[in-house]
Amino acid sequence: MAEVRFDAASRIYPGTEVPAVNELNLDIADGELLVLVGPSGSGKSTALRMLAGLEFIDKGSVFINDKDVTLAPPQDRDIAMVFQNYALYPQMSVAANMGFALKQQGIPKDERRKRVEEAARILDLEPYLDRKPKNLSGGQRQRVAMGRAIVRSPQVFLMDEPLSNLDAKLRVQTRTELADLQARLGVTTVYVTHDQVEAMTMGHRVAVLDHGVLQQVARPRDLYSKPENRFVAGFIGSPAMNLVDVDATNGIAIAGGTVPFDDSVNVANQSGTVSVGVRPEHLSLVTDGTPDSIAGEVTVVEELGSEAFVHVRTKHQGDDLTLVVRDEGETSTQRGDQVSVAFTGPTHLFGADGERVGD
Amino acid sequence: MAAVTSNSTREEQVKALQKKEARRRRLPLLPALLFTIVVTQVPFLMSLYYSFTKWTVTPPSPREWIGIENYTDAFTNMFFRQAAMTSVIMTLTSVVLSVILGTGVALLLDRKFFGQGFVRTLIITPFLVMPVVAGLVWKNQMFSAAFGVLNWVLNQVGVESIEFASKFPRWSIVGVLVWQWTPFMMLIILAGLQGQSSSVIEAAKVDGASPRATFFQITLPHLRPYIELGVLLGSIYLIQVFDHIVVMTGGGPGSTNVPLFVNQRSIGGGWRFGSASAFSIVVVVATIILATFGLRVLSGLLEGEEAA
Amino acid sequence: MSNNNAGPVVGKRTIGGYLLSVLAWFVGFLFFFPVFWMALSGFKTEADANGPPKLFFEPTTEQFSEVTGDTTGLLSAGEAFSNSFWAVVISTFFVMVLAVPAAYALSIKPVSKWKDVLFFFISTKFLPIVAAILPLWIIARELDLLNTRLVLIILYTAMNLPLAIWMLRSFFSEVPKELIEAAQIDGAKLWGQISSVILPIVAPGLAATALLCVIFAWNEFFLAVQLNPIEGSTVPIWVTGNVSTRGNFLAKLSAASTLATLPVIIAGWMAQKRMIRGLAMGAIK
Repeated sequence: MAEVRFDAASRIYPGTEVPAVNELNLDIADGELLVLVGPSGSGKSTALRMLAGLEFIDKGSVFINDKDVTLAPPQDRDIAMVFQNYALYPQMSVAANMGFALKQQGIPKDERRKRVEEAARILDLEPYLDRKPKNLSGGQRQRVAMGRAIVRSPQVFLMDEPLSNLDAKLRVQTRTELADLQARLGVTTVYVTHDQVEAMTMGHRVAVLDHGVLQQVARPRDLYSKPENRFVAGFIGSPAMNLVDVDATNGIAIAGGTVPFDDSVNVANQSGTVSVGVRPEHLSLVTDGTPDSIAGEVTVVEELGSEAFVHVRTKHQGDDLTLVVRDEGETSTQRGDQVSVAFTGPTHLFGADGERVGD
Repeated sequence: MAAVTSNSTREEQVKALQKKEARRRRLPLLPALLFTIVVTQVPFLMSLYYSFTKWTVTPPSPREWIGIENYTDAFTNMFFRQAAMTSVIMTLTSVVLSVILGTGVALLLDRKFFGQGFVRTLIITPFLVMPVVAGLVWKNQMFSAAFGVLNWVLNQVGVESIEFASKFPRWSIVGVLVWQWTPFMMLIILAGLQGQSSSVIEAAKVDGASPRATFFQITLPHLRPYIELGVLLGSIYLIQVFDHIVVMTGGGPGSTNVPLFVNQRSIGGGWRFGSASAFSIVVVVATIILATFGLRVLSGLLEGEEAA
Repeated sequence: MSNNNAGPVVGKRTIGGYLLSVLAWFVGFLFFFPVFWMALSGFKTEADANGPPKLFFEPTTEQFSEVTGDTTGLLSAGEAFSNSFWAVVISTFFVMVLAVPAAYALSIKPVSKWKDVLFFFISTKFLPIVAAILPLWIIARELDLLNTRLVLIILYTAMNLPLAIWMLRSFFSEVPKELIEAAQIDGAKLWGQISSVILPIVAPGLAATALLCVIFAWNEFFLAVQLNPIEGSTVPIWVTGNVSTRGNFLAKLSAASTLATLPVIIAGWMAQKRMIRGLAMGAIK
């Protein structure tokens, strides 16, 4: 069992100026499942590969269990990795795939067999041990890749988008199984994904990266309720938070509706262009004439059954602005309706620098 | 592995590690590289040296340094110019013809029909035939005026027998080269055709493109890198053609190309090593110019991979 | 790789499609005919072979036994085949031993200037071999290598190495990077990566490459005739030895030619599918 620490670790690819990962500081606790999430090019995979030893660490250090592994080759780090495309050795049987690392360590055949069978039992792979990867379904392949990692009982699991090759339904199911398995084994896990739903549902904590820079690392609910900057606010949550640029010179209002903030925000101190964030569930459709409501026209209704998301077009500072509002399921609202929108929950304010203002 | 390493030594460590990695990456390359340098570059350096000397074996004479005299001779040698011309014409025509024919045959074979695999097997066979055998069979059993099958066919349609190999030495050789290299081009282009996704063709069909337009605007551009590869590999081998000529015409009129010419003046009989070496060096320089062009093509082939 | 994507056009039963199929068969026979005729003539008597073309005749194996029989002072078939066999097999083995690691260093873990290095290898193929034959001959004479199998082994290795590196590099680049990384994390060293991960995947490409080396080496005539005219002579030289200026020789020559080309033709037939991939799909990717 192990703790992992990134200490100002940077990766600058040869021939590039901007670091792919820029001075990453991150502490991962023993047994924790930490998710690295971000759009493509955010450096999340690079960070994982730095921990794996597949990328040079140009500056800073990486520690596993307080041991500096910055310069150690992958095989000396006692880690196991699950790749996006599983990277199963095509010519080897499932059993041989799972036992390959043990074989490299010179572990005797009987012992190997025992450990492979044990992992196969955990993952329901016993009937397939003699098959070749090409004769397995996508879900089974994914489990073999997991099995290959488990067999080694490593200090750390590294997972690079392990579910992205599965179809949507299987992905949701496997997500739960994987989180459960990780909890049972208690192995420290670093998990990379671009899917923020996966990040939120699986991670004990989630680290959001953008352009190689760590934006925020927090528990999923804190990430959702208290995004530290405009990027995190826009990235986490589906549908996304409504983010509106507002000229703050004379108070903060959207399309004529004054935005309420909690006490920690001093609106009078703001100047220039700031961003207001409000999640769809913290907006409501109200009857006309409600004070501080925003008048607009419905352009799209996304009916999901249990809830509906209504897109309302309005005019804000001379431009068209569309706000997404959550409404109850089986809504009677239709495209073309004239509606009013009111603030009914917490709002977020991001200063001109993109950082969160107030608590 | 102590965690108490100062920052400057850490940077040095990273540098050292990167150097070590670079060395480790080079290591597997070295045996092949050294072998190739020794076996191919040393002889050329020797040739270069000999080319500035007068050195004949018959009559035996000691080697003496004569500067660029061999080169001035080489450039004024009419026979050498003819040989160079022959090389260019033979290489060019045989490459172009085999690419065109190869494309045609590949298109024929890229359809499902009864015996597809068998027909492909028949067609690749000429490429596998030993060049001296190809030359001999064509000369004696196809082109021959007395017993040649080709002439027999011509006789049936009322044309008189022609001794092709002596009447048209250059084109007889080109004919055999095309026979051997069309299958090679066909193999490469067929691979290209089979690598084309059928959805693109279907999309073109849906868009209402005629088969002709589909071929010229979609298939042919897709085949381009394959054709370039075929031209490149074909040129490399065809410019060096020697065996066919020796057995078919022995260098008869209009069929002495550069390899044959240089050989005739060196250990193939002339034994004038100094001047033969000068000819070789001229050839090398000329081929390097050609190669630069070829390598640019090659470079284009590699370009696509860079991004991947 | 499956048959499903073999061709976009699935045999339409139209007159045009039918004619195209007939044309394909006709072209096939046209290309094959000289080889067929050669093999056929090998079973003729000299009298049958040296006359107007004959399709029907009384077949005899007389020529085959004659060309394989020993004549004092002449290169025997047995000697030529054994010289060729060893020169081809050992040189191809060396090519592979040198080319596999080199291809690894040019694709999977590329050296920094891998393109330049690859260019260098290919550029050696552009240099005309005739321009080097004199120094080679002189070096071989100095080292007492003239008329030995060893000199051909060395030169055939050099001759085929660039092509082999070029083809293998392309095959190696098709190996998913993640597989190598997985093997690395699993603790496999360079040789472990090559032997248990890369080679099994590129085996078809390896076979195609080796086969092409075998074809070019087996068919090579120029170096063999210049360096080994007396001893260590190979099959192509033996074939030309059956051309006679006196008397009829066509049937004998045909028999010898058939024997000389047979090994490579059969090997090529068996490996043709891999060769298609090897020559182009691998080479371009």
